[in-house]
Amino acid sequence: MAVSAVLISLIPLIYLLVRVATIGISEIAELIFQARTLELIINSLLLAITVSVSAVLLGSMQAWVAVRSNLPGRTVFSVLAALPLAIPSYVAAYAWIAVTPGFSGFFAAWLLLTVGTAPLVYLAVSAALVRFDAGTEEVAQSLGATKFQVFRKVTWPNIRTAAVSGGLLSALYVLSDFGAVSIVRYDTFTRAIYNAYRASFDRNQAAALALVLVLVTVLILYFESKAKGQKFTTGKIAGRLGRVELGAWKVPMFLILLVLATVSLLVPLGSLLGWSIEGFGSVDWAAVTGALANSVGLAVSGGLLTSFAALAIAVLTIRHRQKLTSLLERSVWLTHATPGIVVALSLVFFSNQVVPWIYQTTLLVLIAYLALFLPNALAAVSTPIRQSPKALDEVSSSLGLSTMQTLRKVVLPIAGPGIFAATTLVILTVLKELPATLLLRPTGMETLATRLWTETSVAAFSAAAPYALLLVVLAGFPAWLLNRAIRKDLEPMEMERYQ
Amino acid sequence: MSSTLKISSLTKSFGSQPVLSNLSIEIAPKEFVSVLGSSGSGKTTLLRLIAGFDTPDTGEISIAGNKVASEGIFVAAQARKVGYVPQDAALFPHLNVFENIAFGLKGLSKEAKSSRVKALLDLVQMSAFETSDSSSLSGGQKHRVALARAIAPEPELILLDEPFSALDAELRGRIRDDVREVLDKTGSTTVLVTHDQEEALSIADRVALLRDGNFAQIGNPREIYSSPVDLGVATFLGDSVIIAGVIEGGKVVTSLGNLTPLNSSAEGSRGKVAIRPENFYLQPDLNGDSTVVGRQFFGHDAVVDVQTPKQLIRARSSGPFAPEIGMKVTVWVRGAVNFYPEN
Repeated sequence: MAVSAVLISLIPLIYLLVRVATIGISEIAELIFQARTLELIINSLLLAITVSVSAVLLGSMQAWVAVRSNLPGRTVFSVLAALPLAIPSYVAAYAWIAVTPGFSGFFAAWLLLTVGTAPLVYLAVSAALVRFDAGTEEVAQSLGATKFQVFRKVTWPNIRTAAVSGGLLSALYVLSDFGAVSIVRYDTFTRAIYNAYRASFDRNQAAALALVLVLVTVLILYFESKAKGQKFTTGKIAGRLGRVELGAWKVPMFLILLVLATVSLLVPLGSLLGWSIEGFGSVDWAAVTGALANSVGLAVSGGLLTSFAALAIAVLTIRHRQKLTSLLERSVWLTHATPGIVVALSLVFFSNQVVPWIYQTTLLVLIAYLALFLPNALAAVSTPIRQSPKALDEVSSSLGLSTMQTLRKVVLPIAGPGIFAATTLVILTVLKELPATLLLRPTGMETLATRLWTETSVAAFSAAAPYALLLVVLAGFPAWLLNRAIRKDLEPMEMERYQ
Repeated sequence: MSSTLKISSLTKSFGSQPVLSNLSIEIAPKEFVSVLGSSGSGKTTLLRLIAGFDTPDTGEISIAGNKVASEGIFVAAQARKVGYVPQDAALFPHLNVFENIAFGLKGLSKEAKSSRVKALLDLVQMSAFETSDSSSLSGGQKHRVALARAIAPEPELILLDEPFSALDAELRGRIRDDVREVLDKTGSTTVLVTHDQEEALSIADRVALLRDGNFAQIGNPREIYSSPVDLGVATFLGDSVIIAGVIEGGKVVTSLGNLTPLNSSAEGSRGKVAIRPENFYLQPDLNGDSTVVGRQFFGHDAVVDVQTPKQLIRARSSGPFAPEIGMKVTVWVRGAVNFYPEN
């Protein structure tokens, strides 16, 4: 079960290689080493670098203000800082373009993705700041360091890992983002792959581009794993939290955060609501309910399938850690490096040439979900399973229970609530998926995401509004709430802190 | 086939690191044996092999006459009838006290199960906590419940893995006595592993000293303490003063005088004697050849450093009567000593 799930999730990546291998070296070289590819690389990297840098700056600043400053209203700002995670980037893109028609190109993509991914940095850095013992800052001061030296020599080294790894996550997100860059018409790899795929029946170019994108992504993942390797953890809960008096900086800081909240939340949500109200009379309710039903159906079956597979892998790897099983676990992360559009494209090739009967069936969409979300699901279900210590299994078997009985009577009852929350989270994540659904869905099947995509691409903003609103309400907000709950489980120290 | 646990030539390595090598022991029914070893000596590995959580490389384990691990045989943990109390008690967090104890009870009617659990609760003095949440218990209470849970299915053998190490010193002594009493009442055969020598010596019928993956010595606590088989054991278990000596005329001639060896050695052989600090007698003597140079006072007793003409020794002395620093004394050795010839 676990093994086959992993194998299925690896199909896209493996088949992409197979597909590219059939093209022939000279042609690949021709396809890759053309000016267009270079332009795409520059565009994608430029966006990834600028977005991750600005996301690190913004996210770290928000984290510092929320955790370490005495700014009035910081609790409100700390909620606002994480909230943009609830809005899928293509929904934000639609909302912006619907109120500012000229909103397009590099700046638009940069703005959208910066405010969209700053929360990733914010969450990582604020967790690091909470763990950080402010007492060491006072020690540094007593040793004669100035405030700036204290920050550079004591505070920063302790949050650097979190900030850098948050920034790399942001860069990964940018590289795999398809919806937002396409809507604001900024040419990156994902958009070019989609266009190359749409434009011609010769899909060699799409395949070659996809391979280059995977290579770039793997490079970033490599840096991320390196950044993770050098973490300072004292494992102790920080003694106390010194709050820094902002003084004259209070007003400017307040204004900056206000502008940020406007850009990341007020404008998109306002635009969504505005267009929804405006178009309310002319909503095609049959289409909306149809799309809703399809979305929910796909998300629930895809989410359950993925979570179930993840559960099997988690039990296998955590309970019976052996060389083979940890290899299984690691190989799942390979797919993590593959953007949705690449997974979709590769599955198109695969189904066309190997198993034509699943092309444009729901089954293929579900396989894509499995490949895309297995890593997330695995991370989510592993946490509760790890919470049930191995000693309990041993006690249980010494009391005469078989492995399956132990799983049923000990592991699952303890991990159950966590697994339920994790599964829900996966379902909600699947609900927001755009590129793979767009490419692989059976002809005529529309979901909330594909509807939004279609209507936006013909600038039918009021027709798109109900889909966008439903997506935020249905997928974004509960996912954000649940994610927060799971994060709290992960960081009990943080909880104690606030009690 | 009288022994409850029989281990012969047990060997286990992790990778290229040998942990247990060629280890053997037999434990009689109702016997309480502590396995004493420092961390890394392999004691936890031994326990896990007996419980069936790990597989030995070679060797045999039999429980109550049945081979549970041997070449080609491996009986899974759930079929071994071995009760296990882990270090941190590991109560099932989703079950209350009653349910924890009832966990391993099978094939009993509801009433039988209930009365069995109640009897066990009574035995470990936890009747008042029957419906308590396992997370609401104190450390000592958790251990009582964990013990009751292990005893419940009437296992052939109970394994205790450093069960008292997480408790504070005062509580530890009391729980230790209670545990021993409970296990005596139920007539259980018990193996306890620990790194705490006081614990090992005070609770057990026999102590097995684990060193470098093998038993350096097995014997009753008195034997182990007063007749260590070698210098290593003598210094590991309690303090010892080591001095050189030679056998002449049936006595060991040392710088502290002629001492009586417990064991017989060939005339003229050289070696070392190990003397327990409490076996020195410090006689205040103005003309004595030794001087007290240091003193640590503990209340009930004191440790006194004495400079003799040839070397510095450490003696234990009754607290109120310990000599002052600077006092002249004559050092006597009480009783016979253990002589370890050099080869």
